[in-house]
Amino acid sequence: MDEMTDNSDTALERSQPSSAEASAVELSDLALVNQAREGDEAAFEELFNRHKRRVSLIASRFFRQREQIEEVVQESFTKAYFALSDFSNTQENSFAAWLARISFNACYDELRRMKRRPESTLSNVSEEESEWLKEHLLTATNPGSDIESAAVARDLATKLLARLSPEDRLVLVMLDAEGMAVSEIATVTGWSVPKVKVRAHRARAALRKALKRFL
Amino acid sequence: MIGKKRNRGEDERLDEFGRGLIRASTSNEAEAEEVAAAPFLYTRLRSRIRQEQVRREEGESWLAMLGVFWRTIPAMALVAIFALTLFLSTNSGTLSSGSVNVDDALLGTSDVGVESVVFADNRALSNNEVLATILNEDEQEASR
Repeated sequence: MDEMTDNSDTALERSQPSSAEASAVELSDLALVNQAREGDEAAFEELFNRHKRRVSLIASRFFRQREQIEEVVQESFTKAYFALSDFSNTQENSFAAWLARISFNACYDELRRMKRRPESTLSNVSEEESEWLKEHLLTATNPGSDIESAAVARDLATKLLARLSPEDRLVLVMLDAEGMAVSEIATVTGWSVPKVKVRAHRARAALRKALKRFL
Repeated sequence: MIGKKRNRGEDERLDEFGRGLIRASTSNEAEAEEVAAAPFLYTRLRSRIRQEQVRREEGESWLAMLGVFWRTIPAMALVAIFALTLFLSTNSGTLSSGSVNVDDALLGTSDVGVESVVFADNRALSNNEVLATILNEDEQEASR
């Protein structure tokens, strides 16, 4: 579990706009938030335009279909709009980080909603995919190393991840795809640090179990 | 011991493979870019915010009504208790005054104050007239 604690490069900080971008814009996020709080729709639109790409990227970590990504984007910004009065700008809590937190939670809610709908669960792993997986597992080659392999790996990973619980999936994506530290995940999800560690351990075991079936 | 080490090594290999799979499945930047660049995305968001606003206002009005109802319950209960107490006390007053002298009722001597005044106009016969009638009847019987 060392990899989880050593990750000091914070993903939420990375989500903030670069200094070049910040200097290019006239108003800071905080100023726009204050204007939006007073009912300035143009200010909220500007905030949306600045951060929509980042929110879309977060959603795309969990969902592959365009409709699902857009749903998360809309849900995140709607929640942010109604929670603008709760936002307090501090050094650790910029608007981008605050919005990222909302987006991760929107993704988690959507994952839970999907899990409740039996028709949304994906089909089983096909014979070809099973063969591909077995071959790569035995040769220990990195999945997604070439274009063709990446496409198969993506489909397969989506099917395998769909078998995990929403909590397991959230933690694994945050750890492996977003490169977030355990403390960051705890802040975003509102869970305690030990809970995140236990959840990550269980999620790894669940994924391992799913992969072992193909060996 | 050797078996355990082998298992651990295999688990690590599977974990590494799993990490690779997750990274592969989450590299979906092109789709994300398309969504971010989609036309009318903000328009759709605005309409969703408006819908949510309406929904919240409806919810708030229901909550306000519930609040009013909640505050009314104790007041209504107090009024009901007061009315019941009043009703019971009136009933017991009527029962205790049930043994009033018949003559008093007939002569209206128990009626005092306002009641006497109110009923004064409704009575065709005065107390003296009634008394005179009774005395007359007694005299007639005596003369027979």
